[in-house]
Amino acid sequence: MRKLPFDTVLIANRGEIAIRIIKTLRELELRSAIVYHDLDAGTPAVSMADVAIPISGRTPVAAYLDTAQIIAAAHEVNAGAIHPGYGFLSENAEFARKVLEAGIVFIGPTPENIELMGDKIRARKFVQRNGFPVARSAIEEDDPATFISRARSIGAPLLVKPSAGGGGKGMRIVRDLDALEHAIVQARSEAQRYFGDARLYVERYVEKPRHIEVQVLGDSFGNVIHLFERECSVQRRFQKVIEEAPSPALSLELREKICETAVNIARSANYRNAGTVEFIFDGSGFYFLEMNTRLQVEHPVTEMITGIDLVAEQVYVTGGHELRLSQSDIVLAGHAIEARVYAEAPARGFAPTTGKVLVLDYPGGPGVRIDSGILQGQQITTAFDSMLAKVIVHSPTRTEAALKAERAMQELVLLGCETNASFLARVLADEQFLSGQVHTGYLDENPHLAAGEFASDLSAFLAAAALLTRPVRDSADAVPELHASLGSWRN
Amino acid sequence: MQRITSLVDVKSQEFRLNELHNRRLAAELKERQHAVRFNRPERDRERLRRQNKLFVRERVEALLDPETPFLEISTLAANKAYDGEVPSAAQVVGIGIVAGREVIVHADDASVKGGAWYPLSVKKIVRSLDIAIENRLPVVHLCDCGGGFLPLQAEFFADRHHAGRIFHNQTILSKMGVPQVAIVMGHCIAGGAYVPALSEYNIIVQGSGAIFLGGPSVVKAATGQHVSVEELGGADMHTSVSGTADYLANSEMHAIAIARDIVARFNRIEKAPIDRVAPEPPAYPASELYGIIPKDPRAHFEMREIIARLVDGSRFHEYQPRYGRSLVCGFARLHGYQIGVLANNGVLFGDSALKGAHFIQLCDMNRTPLLFLQNITGFMVGRDYEQGGITKNGAKLIMAMSGASVPKFTIVCNHSHGAGAFAMAGRAFDPRFLFTWPQAQISAIGTDQATRVLTDIKAKQLAVDGRHLSEQELEAIRESISEEYKERSSAYYATSEIWDDGILDPADTRNALAMAVSASLNAPIETPRYGVFRM
Amino acid sequence: MNHVLELEGVDYQLWLSPCKQGYRLHLGDEVTAPIDFCHQGDGCGILIIAGAREPVRFAIDGDTIHLHIRGRTSVLRYRDPLSALALAQKHAGQLVARAPMPGVVVATSVLPGEVIAAGTALMVVESMKLETVIRSSQNGVVDRVHFKEGESFEQDAVLVTLSAEGH
Repeated sequence: MRKLPFDTVLIANRGEIAIRIIKTLRELELRSAIVYHDLDAGTPAVSMADVAIPISGRTPVAAYLDTAQIIAAAHEVNAGAIHPGYGFLSENAEFARKVLEAGIVFIGPTPENIELMGDKIRARKFVQRNGFPVARSAIEEDDPATFISRARSIGAPLLVKPSAGGGGKGMRIVRDLDALEHAIVQARSEAQRYFGDARLYVERYVEKPRHIEVQVLGDSFGNVIHLFERECSVQRRFQKVIEEAPSPALSLELREKICETAVNIARSANYRNAGTVEFIFDGSGFYFLEMNTRLQVEHPVTEMITGIDLVAEQVYVTGGHELRLSQSDIVLAGHAIEARVYAEAPARGFAPTTGKVLVLDYPGGPGVRIDSGILQGQQITTAFDSMLAKVIVHSPTRTEAALKAERAMQELVLLGCETNASFLARVLADEQFLSGQVHTGYLDENPHLAAGEFASDLSAFLAAAALLTRPVRDSADAVPELHASLGSWRN
Repeated sequence: MQRITSLVDVKSQEFRLNELHNRRLAAELKERQHAVRFNRPERDRERLRRQNKLFVRERVEALLDPETPFLEISTLAANKAYDGEVPSAAQVVGIGIVAGREVIVHADDASVKGGAWYPLSVKKIVRSLDIAIENRLPVVHLCDCGGGFLPLQAEFFADRHHAGRIFHNQTILSKMGVPQVAIVMGHCIAGGAYVPALSEYNIIVQGSGAIFLGGPSVVKAATGQHVSVEELGGADMHTSVSGTADYLANSEMHAIAIARDIVARFNRIEKAPIDRVAPEPPAYPASELYGIIPKDPRAHFEMREIIARLVDGSRFHEYQPRYGRSLVCGFARLHGYQIGVLANNGVLFGDSALKGAHFIQLCDMNRTPLLFLQNITGFMVGRDYEQGGITKNGAKLIMAMSGASVPKFTIVCNHSHGAGAFAMAGRAFDPRFLFTWPQAQISAIGTDQATRVLTDIKAKQLAVDGRHLSEQELEAIRESISEEYKERSSAYYATSEIWDDGILDPADTRNALAMAVSASLNAPIETPRYGVFRM
Repeated sequence: MNHVLELEGVDYQLWLSPCKQGYRLHLGDEVTAPIDFCHQGDGCGILIIAGAREPVRFAIDGDTIHLHIRGRTSVLRYRDPLSALALAQKHAGQLVARAPMPGVVVATSVLPGEVIAAGTALMVVESMKLETVIRSSQNGVVDRVHFKEGESFEQDAVLVTLSAEGH
């Protein structure tokens, strides 16, 4: 084990990613510290950490965005490093800078990396300048006065996005140009609220696009490698639902090309740490979408096919070490699929759901990994993101992986809060998914997957519920035997 | 217990002709029942809809537990009265299951003359409460009555068993600890106001329900006061000011849900312990009854064939099979309940009367309910029989039957005439339930005999006036007397006048009796005690 | 009167009746029989349905039944007839704005006492990454705003109560 300049790492995050990070910290024999809002007290992440420091905020989310409190907490527990996880402050250059100024290591890219690549507009200009492919776009800050007319001139369909965004928040598709201005107003409000940054840009929306991203790792010595691509085309409302690696859409040649492009983009940006270069793939060509300067939710599929612990690599490179691996050490083995379990009701337009986790039983077996942030008895609220857990499977082939993932989703028992698990199982068994012919509009085009007809299962559910509902069973038991045997006889 | 071996040839011409005839009678019965239950002028249905009211049948169905039976009582009451304009006497009455409890349901039918009470309505309600008292059954009243039908008040107001008896019966039930729930779904005016008021629990439906002794117009006439229905007796007022009503319901369905919840609170009564085993269907199908009951009511038929199609496994332990053979007596099981059966297989003789009296006492001692299957033209007449003491032996049978404490049930299968009809647990002897088959004839003496006697009397009267009738004239008189007599001794007339609890399709008899026996066991069976037997 | 179980927004009128080998499920004219349920410890059991034995995981939370059968999870709600029928009418008369889904209040747009017209924006809520404006369905006076900015609420929660005063 190589020496590191810190022995305690503060995790400025919550839920499954906090646990994921703690697990690696334990392996590296580092002490883990965590900040938590009162609503998260008692969650497994908080109890697993070696030390936990409460923080507060106007809203629960605001607490996790409070730089000052988090840095103070790090000082309090003598944390030499902060891991931001994903979301929250993970791509906030200002935060990264303040952490560094406080004499703490930021487990992530440099503030400059974040500033350059984390800002979508700056990133795409940079990428374009360096000769990599990007989609047609209109950027507001180039000339705010002509933003709308420039956007119009691209022609429908358009995608309106916050410059500072991520995770699908604030994004809107405009198919009718008359609706453009309204979409801009709404997207701006959300952008301001989620990212504190109201700037927008508009780009040409590619119909039936596939979302393919490449995992890269860079160190402070100018080394950049890739860990192959992930495909994240199964989305609803720009929210990834099922991710896999490798992508079934790429030939060997294209795989090599896209991974090479990603490495070159990262290298030209002097990128350090783990990052993801996202591309839109239209079936033949690909172009740069954005770069995520953080560990991604779906990183486990990459870990499964490469056998590499990405968090450990993050810790090492930020700890000043040179990458332990060279590109030739990275070998792609088998196929991995991740399914995200959300607290939501697919049949009701994916509306978020709440409730107390009454029964929780995860699937297991060889090649099944669960990254979960919840415990039995925990209350699920809408205060945070609705993702409860990720189920990741690894098999020799895609077909086997899909089957294993489907079975895992069926074996997953989470009662008390409605989830999308059955929906995921249906998608994993859907012919179109199995054929690999998916794109980001796939779920919208197949609403039957979300609706989830009950068919023959209906009577089983109603029968079980009826037998388990006291008033229903009591009224059956109350009928005298004679009268029950006569049924609805009338004279 | 031995199984009855049926000797009926179901392939015979006679069987098929009987079957055709009786199936037609059963179909006619069902048609008439359906008509009185559901045929209403559209304007009356429309009025109910306007008032946000459910049709009475829908109310009853909503009240009952789904998938449970309902034994409707006197469906065809008043079918021969008031020009047939008051179907079911504007009342729905029956025994049903509410929240798992056997209850009497009594519902006013507001689709008939605004739910007004006719004389036969009153008789039917009194009978429903008699059933409740005799069998200790809780009652659910669905009240929607516009008051009594004034032009006929002389026939329902003042007498012992007139309208006052309804309220008298309610107080008796209450005293017995048998609870009643009333839902006020329309206006309960004058006497009608006391149905909910005398019930242990009552629910009033907001908007349509009201309780008052005198309506706004009566109040105005009496006192000059102008007052609205709501102020005078509305749901809000009665549940918050007067305390006359207990629960306020938003809708009829809400009221019914509350009533079901109330009934679910009733204590379950420990039923009278009588011997019972697991039920078994008869070995012969009930539908064969249609081929056995003769097309010609004067033709004799074997009662054991009827018994074989009513009782469990068609098993029958016959008592004294070689003695008093015109009265078949024996033990059987009905849906598992042990019963004693007395069935007429001809006219009653002295020995059959003695056998019956003895058998009744066996059953009474043994806590075995009694089933009487009537096909009786009377006790045998003649010098030899009188000298043999037919009257005093008949008196023994009547004394035993009347005095027995076990519940009694009567089915009028065919003839029901003379003192024999009394001795076979006739209506006057308060069998718990009495049902009639469609072809039955109920009268003091048979039609032929009566026609002869009445025609003779008529001829003699005319002879006194010096008139001599030709054979043709006599025949015309005979015809008209016979027609009228037949009509007034028909099952439909009997049921119209509520001399029974309803006409049964013979194939329904087994289930109806099972429900009746089950209901009867809610009341304790007293220890046997008899009057003086003339020896 | 049938029982009502709600499953994914659909109310199913059903009734259970006893039979020799357990129970019959009546759903409209459809009868499923025999059915029965054998408990096997906490939250586990076997549903016997049409001759098959289906393992069931379940959790009961008040009138809510969470079920996992045949690899599929569903939530069913027992609609108590008394409260369901009592509510059915009450809602019609009450002036309330309810949450169409769970979410968080982004901004409140009215204050108690404010006279508003039908269509007035009462509140901006955020759910599923989208903002929704909650508007008044009728004229009235704001009686109470039940949630503050940043507070989260459940589906069907009363967000704003109005009174009809002055109208």
